[in-house]
Formats: sequence, C-alpha cells, structure tokens
Amino acid sequence: MLILEGVGKAYPGGLEAVSRVDLAIAPGSFTSIVGPSGCGKSTLLRLIAGLDRPSAGRIEGRPENEVGLVFQDPTLMPWADVWSNVYLPLRLAGLPRAAAAPLIDEALALVGLLDFARAHPRALSGGMRMRAAIARAIVTEPALLLMDEPFAALDEITRNKLNDDLLRLWRKRGFTAIFVTHSVFESVYLSTEIAIMTPRPGRIHSRHRIDGPAVRNREFRTSRLYLDACRAVSSDLEQAMAESAR
Amino acid sequence: MTRYLPLVVGIIVLALWEASVRWLDVPKFVLPPPSLIAEALIANLPQLLAALGETLKLTLLAFVASFLGGLALAILFVRSRLIERSLLPYAVVLQVTPIVAIAPLIVIWVGVDHVERAVFILAMVVAFFPVLSNASFGLRSVDPGLADLFRLYHATGRQRLLLLQLPSALPALLAGAKISAGLALIGSVVAEFVAGSGEATGLAWRIVESGNRLEIPRMFAALVLLSSAGLALNWLISVLERRLLRHWHGARSEA
Repeated sequence: MLILEGVGKAYPGGLEAVSRVDLAIAPGSFTSIVGPSGCGKSTLLRLIAGLDRPSAGRIEGRPENEVGLVFQDPTLMPWADVWSNVYLPLRLAGLPRAAAAPLIDEALALVGLLDFARAHPRALSGGMRMRAAIARAIVTEPALLLMDEPFAALDEITRNKLNDDLLRLWRKRGFTAIFVTHSVFESVYLSTEIAIMTPRPGRIHSRHRIDGPAVRNREFRTSRLYLDACRAVSSDLEQAMAESAR
Repeated sequence: MTRYLPLVVGIIVLALWEASVRWLDVPKFVLPPPSLIAEALIANLPQLLAALGETLKLTLLAFVASFLGGLALAILFVRSRLIERSLLPYAVVLQVTPIVAIAPLIVIWVGVDHVERAVFILAMVVAFFPVLSNASFGLRSVDPGLADLFRLYHATGRQRLLLLQLPSALPALLAGAKISAGLALIGSVVAEFVAGSGEATGLAWRIVESGNRLEIPRMFAALVLLSSAGLALNWLISVLERRLLRHWHGARSEA
C-alpha cells in the first residue's frame, strides 16, 4: 500500500504547489489524478517518484527501485535508437546487453514496437515515441508505474488506442498505476480509482471508485456505468474548481 | 542550382580581376593577375606544400590538444562550481588578450631555438576557449526530463557523464570544434609571423619571405594554399558533424 499523509510541497519563494494530500493507493490499482492545469498534479507525481522531497507530510510504501515513469513528452535520447532507449534503465542498473535483450524485446513486443527497435526517435510518430517511452518505463518490471499526462499531446484516435494498450499492459503485468490527466473521460475509462484535485495549491477534493468491467473496450465507453461515472466526476471537478475560487 | 552560385561568383571575380589588371597595366608586384598566381603556385608547389605540411601538422596537433584540454576542463567545470569559479576568469583573460600581443613573449620563452613549440602553444591558446565554452554549455544543456530519468534510476556520475551529458553536448561540441580549428590555424600563422626568420619553416613564413622579396605572385600562391587548408579543415568537421548528428535533426523541434 502506497500511503501519502498530509503531503505538501512549497517552493522557496512561497509558491505552494500541493497541500495536505492524503491518499492511499492499493497495490495493483489504477488510480487517476484528475485536475485542472497547474493544480500540482505533476508535482505530486514527482513527489511520489522521489524526484522531489515533500516539504510537509510523508510518503510511505514506495517500492524503492521499482518505479517506472512516463512524462508528458516521450523524453527519448535522440542520439540512440529505440532499442538503446529502452535498454537505458537496465544499463544504468548494470545489466549487460545480452542479459537485457530478452527483457527489452518483451517490453517492445508489449507496446508493439518490436519492428522498430532499430529506428531512431526522429523517424517515429508521436504515438510511437510514446510507446517507446512506455516500453522503457516497464522494461524493469516496476511495481509502480507513474504517468504524467502521457497522451495529452496525441490525437484522439491514437490516444484511445494507447489507452486500450495501456490497460492490456496493466492487466498483464499487474503493476500499480498512477495516471495524471486533465481528461475526465480518459480517467473514467482507465481507472479503478479517481482522485480529483483542486486548483493550486492542489488538494484532494474527492475520490471515486469506478466499478467497471475487468476488460474495458468500446462497449464500456458507451455504457450507462461509464456515462454516469463521467457525469459524477465532472460535477465533482466543477465543484472543486468552484470551492477554490471562493 | 544555387549550390553552384559561389563558384559562378568566384569565376566572374577572377575574370574581372585578370581583365582589369591587364587593361590597367597594374605592376605585378602590386597586384598580380590570377594567371600569374597560378603559375607561381605550380612553380613553387613542392616547397609551398612542404611549408603547408609543417603549418598543418602543428595546427592539427594544437587543435587536438586544445579540444581534449578544453573538453576535460569543461567536464571539471560542470562537476565543480568551485573549480569553474576559480579558473574561468583566467580562461577569459587568455581569450580576450589578442594573440598577436602574447606571441612575442611566447616566442622569446620557448621559441628561440624551437619555433614549433611557440607555434604549438600559441595555436593552442587561441583554439582552447571555443571548445571550453561550447563544451561547458553543451554539457549543461541536458534535457531536464532525461536528467530526472537518470536520477530515478540512480545513475552514477560516470554514467550520467558518458550516457547523458557527453551525447547531449555533441552538437555544441562540434560547433566549438569548427571555430577552434579555424582559430588554431590563425594561431599558427600569427606565431610564425612573430617568430620571423630562420627557424620558421611554415607557410606563413613563406608569405613574409615572399613579401620581403616582393615576390607577390608567390605570396598570393601561399595565401591561396592557406585559405584552402582552412576551408578543408572546416569542411572536414562539417562532414563529421553531419554524420554524427544525422539522427538528431528534427527530434527536438517536434513535440
């Protein structure tokens, strides 16, 4: 269980990005953090990743050395091909190429990039670059996968496809997923849990459980359950915005 | 088509030059026509090429030394603010002091019996700074997301340097190398000029010598070789740049 207790982050100069965040995230769950731009979602993710230290509260139960991270940009090394980019986390851990190869090939196969292992990022489409970034994040078989609006820059068709692929990946690997997004629809489609954040300083406004089917597909996207959940999350999000405006 | 434009301009200028020198009857020790320069170039080719070889050898040695030295110092700078704070001002002093002004001193110190040492040192002094400043800039221009990733996976300092900082610095480093190669040639020439008679055997000395003897066509011939050498150096590094950076272009500008 990943537990955040009263977590806050204030930057020198007084800017408070997140404040008093309490959150418990069950192993194997898929949690989306939804909120408006600039509400500190990304800051919260960085705190969970251990890239920044919280200035208040504490974070417990982070699986050390078992965290994968996907940014909004693919953030690939332009000088290296897809294979070498995916190899990076294993290489930094000291794993030789030969030993890493089966893991890399498996990760590439899972995101459908096996045929593009020798391509350089420049030669790939935006969606394929993001797939490469995801392959890199899962190649270490992390227990916790953190994603910061990974599909925000993609067109809707590509995003829907990647949503389905991500869910398939999540079911297969069973990692805990924390997914930051500003899209209500995306969060409802993907998640088992949704946490709604208020504008800056970001606090958790409310939480939702999405009791959708285990396997989600186009049918789920048009189901009553999905639409009701979207409505509920949207209305809470509006409330969160209004509360902070007061 | 436009790639041949410089060539066309060059031919037109040469033709105008040749024609006007002949029509106006300009003495050949003031401005020789291109045809005479070509003649002098062919007549003196073995001697001039030997001199060019001498100058190029020292230029390349100095370039390689300044490249490695500049890169090494830049790595130190990026690792330690303290070292950068203490040494950077002196590197700047070396950079802003005109090389012509330091040259006599260096020649007196090390060049009286060994001109080539003075040439090497002076060429290195001028070629050093562009590598240092470009490398320091390049080593710091790391994608912040990638830097985060290296931190997430607990990369060692060595891994960060070899797998992240040096590759990230490559474009800036090559740009610095291009400037620095040109400057190394300038440094060699200045040193040969200042060292003057006797020991110097490089191309710049041939220019001084020809000037003293009013052998202006030979002087121009030496000049042509010197410019060609500079162009060749520049071209060589451009080719290297294109090869090494062929995967980069476009990768950063797009989202």
